[in-house]
Amino acid sequence: MLANVFTKTARDRWRGTAIGAGSLALLLYFGMSLYRQFDLSVYDSLPDVVRSIINLPEGTDVAGLAYGAIYGTYGALTLAALALAMGSGAIAGEERDGTIGLLLANPASRTKVLVSKAAAMVALIAVASIVLWGAGVLSPALLDVAIGGTHVGALVFHIFVNAVFYGMLALAVGAWTGNAGLASGAATGVMVVSLFAVGIFQVVSGWENVAKAFPWYYFDAGSPLINGVAWGHIAVLLAGCTVLAVVAVAGVNRRDLKTQTVGVTLVDRLRANPMTRKVADRLAGSTRVSRISVKTASEHQGVTLVTGALMFAYMGVLIGPLYNLIDPGVLDFSGDLPDELMTLFGMGDGDMSTPVGWYRGETFGLVAPIAALLVGIVVGSRALAGEEARRTMGLLLANPVSRTSILLQKAAAMTLLVITVGVATFSGVTIGSLLGGLDIGVANIAAVSVLMTLLGLVFGGLALALGAATGRVRPAAFGAIGAGLVLHVANALLPLNESLAGLSRFTPFHYYTASDPLANGLDWGHAAVLAGLAAALIAVSMALFRRRDLCQKG
Amino acid sequence: MTDHTAIHTEGLTKHYGDVRALVDLDLDVTAGEVFGFLGPNGAGKTTMIRTLLDEIRPTAGRATILGLDTHDSSVEIRRHIGYVPGDLAMYPNLTGKDTLTYFANLRGGVDWVYVAELADRLDADLSKKVGDLSSGNRQKVGLIQAFMNRPDVLVMDEPSSGLDPLVQREFQTMMRQVVAEGRTVFLSSHTLSEVQRVADRVGIIRHGALIALEAVADLRSRAMRRVELEFAAPVEASVFEAVPGVRDVSVENHHVVMSFDGNMGTLLTTAAARYQVVDINTHEADLEDIFLTYYRDEGGATA
Repeated sequence: MLANVFTKTARDRWRGTAIGAGSLALLLYFGMSLYRQFDLSVYDSLPDVVRSIINLPEGTDVAGLAYGAIYGTYGALTLAALALAMGSGAIAGEERDGTIGLLLANPASRTKVLVSKAAAMVALIAVASIVLWGAGVLSPALLDVAIGGTHVGALVFHIFVNAVFYGMLALAVGAWTGNAGLASGAATGVMVVSLFAVGIFQVVSGWENVAKAFPWYYFDAGSPLINGVAWGHIAVLLAGCTVLAVVAVAGVNRRDLKTQTVGVTLVDRLRANPMTRKVADRLAGSTRVSRISVKTASEHQGVTLVTGALMFAYMGVLIGPLYNLIDPGVLDFSGDLPDELMTLFGMGDGDMSTPVGWYRGETFGLVAPIAALLVGIVVGSRALAGEEARRTMGLLLANPVSRTSILLQKAAAMTLLVITVGVATFSGVTIGSLLGGLDIGVANIAAVSVLMTLLGLVFGGLALALGAATGRVRPAAFGAIGAGLVLHVANALLPLNESLAGLSRFTPFHYYTASDPLANGLDWGHAAVLAGLAAALIAVSMALFRRRDLCQKG
Repeated sequence: MTDHTAIHTEGLTKHYGDVRALVDLDLDVTAGEVFGFLGPNGAGKTTMIRTLLDEIRPTAGRATILGLDTHDSSVEIRRHIGYVPGDLAMYPNLTGKDTLTYFANLRGGVDWVYVAELADRLDADLSKKVGDLSSGNRQKVGLIQAFMNRPDVLVMDEPSSGLDPLVQREFQTMMRQVVAEGRTVFLSSHTLSEVQRVADRVGIIRHGALIALEAVADLRSRAMRRVELEFAAPVEASVFEAVPGVRDVSVENHHVVMSFDGNMGTLLTTAAARYQVVDINTHEADLEDIFLTYYRDEGGATA
């Protein structure tokens, strides 16, 4: 292993890791202190079977629920996302930046560079996990909460191994292909799809075993918080890591290194073919580069199409018919839970035994906002800062277009792409609802899709503003993601405390969830708040971008 | 400033925190000339150009191009300029043709016959993706992009980096043709032979300040000759330094090199009086010698 490569990688990445782990630690403390004030009589009235399902062992206060709510989902996702960002950047990132040649001009083998970078990734995730574990032990002590038989250490250990798995997945894809975007996209796709596949298949009778095909199953199916470390499941994940490590080493040694990532798209293939050249040339050669907005939209077609397709087919069409297959026992239990707890599980404030509740819980609770935010933030953060990071902004601005016009065209592209995801979701859910015979009003599906789209634009606008202020992609993207995470949790937790409930009005998520649009239709006032906020952020971006010196490097 | 001024700056100053990248720069570039902008790495050449393009804003002072303020009228100015940034980067996934189409569309169209002619002259391949091109071939696409709308003012930051000598020569011809049509070229470079060949005037910048501004012809006539003398025995520098018109003496054992703009008879008499001369070699100083002389002198004065 190369000590200096290890140190440099760790030094480049420690800040993001520290912010991620620190935020989670604070969220846990914050969540636990809110739960503590939760009406205990509700808890006492819960039937035993429910208490076991919602991860509350004997002798544990309700506040123990904060572990599952904060760490179980957000913590696992955040650490896995940090790991996969490091994994995809390891080899493919150096190729994208054109630094790999310089690095390998030193007497260091590709394998050693890869291993050193992988080791830095594992070390940083380990440090983040220790922070989570520390907060998990300290918070109940400081707040005087009994945690009884919960195994927070086991939960954090599962989070750690799970995160390393996705980091290794991104590393392997990046090492094999040399394409950093593909590596992070593929790993994120596997992570998100498997997270929700496990959630869905576990409650559908006859399909429980299908869940085992998805890696996320081995993270939480054994309920480590209650039962301690599930060594069998850990072994599966570690075996996966080993296979991926072998793939990564083989991949990086087998191929030519790249100096700049040039993807081959479908349009390129069509252009190479004499039969289709004419049409493809018109598409790629004239239309794509006809305007700044069209070119920007075209650059992000990949993430938009994949996200839109997943929302349409998987979270939309498939979910409807599945409703008829769910295990009735699970539905009964969710009917017994207080609304606030359901909210915390990302299932909206209602039971899942009705078609509206089912779609709200599975599709619109967490996945739809993630999809809309993902596309908004990817496009928004790269809109201005991406051109600066790639050093093309100077050339673009040598043309007779004002900075304002560039920004507005980029914002238009972002709006178009987020709307695409919204429309895909709307169509998928409408068809799914018809196929499943669920009879949800089309106007209501449209209402929730509109609010989801606007929410994506708010956070896309935030990423755009951060990019306009700093000219740097990573702070813009991670700033907006962090704000999304914190505000989402705040919107879920604040209503638990009567004196703080009013504060949730200050999170954008309130205007997505509070009116329950899937049941009640569109609240025009809430839609106006979100639209106004998005417009205000774009206006702020304009002011920031117009008066600033451009960065020479990202 | 007159109607014939293409670029004009007055008191142009740019600070990055404590770093003074440009200090009180006054400069006029006349329409119809190639202006060579010289300076060592980090002297402020790129900062100056980025200020002209309104990429960054001056701390003090102002600049105009074709009489228009570079900040207030930046969009209008950009209709009339072509620009090649230093360290050129473009969109790797677009072909050369796509790239040019994109910028042409932002300009409301260009003459594609002229683009084809430029591509032919520079031997550029526009069908490949920019990311798959070598840096020299990528640079050609950047040059075509700057020339294609027949701009009134061409601003170029190290434009010939990566070009092979044949293409460099063609590029220099293209620059001379631009000024022959009454248009203007602002050329930042440290390829001195290129500046010497194409520039009408040069400005030399150091530590953000303009330290010399002269016509290339004057600079050369003023700056004299290089003289190399070979002796039978080791010599002392002080003997030559005493001769009027001698600068930059460097002695290496039997061998002396100096810059000289005095009376050659005096120099030879002095040398022959003390030592036995074995060989003499003298030639007109080129820009590189002048450049080095400037920096050695000014460096001693300001460092």
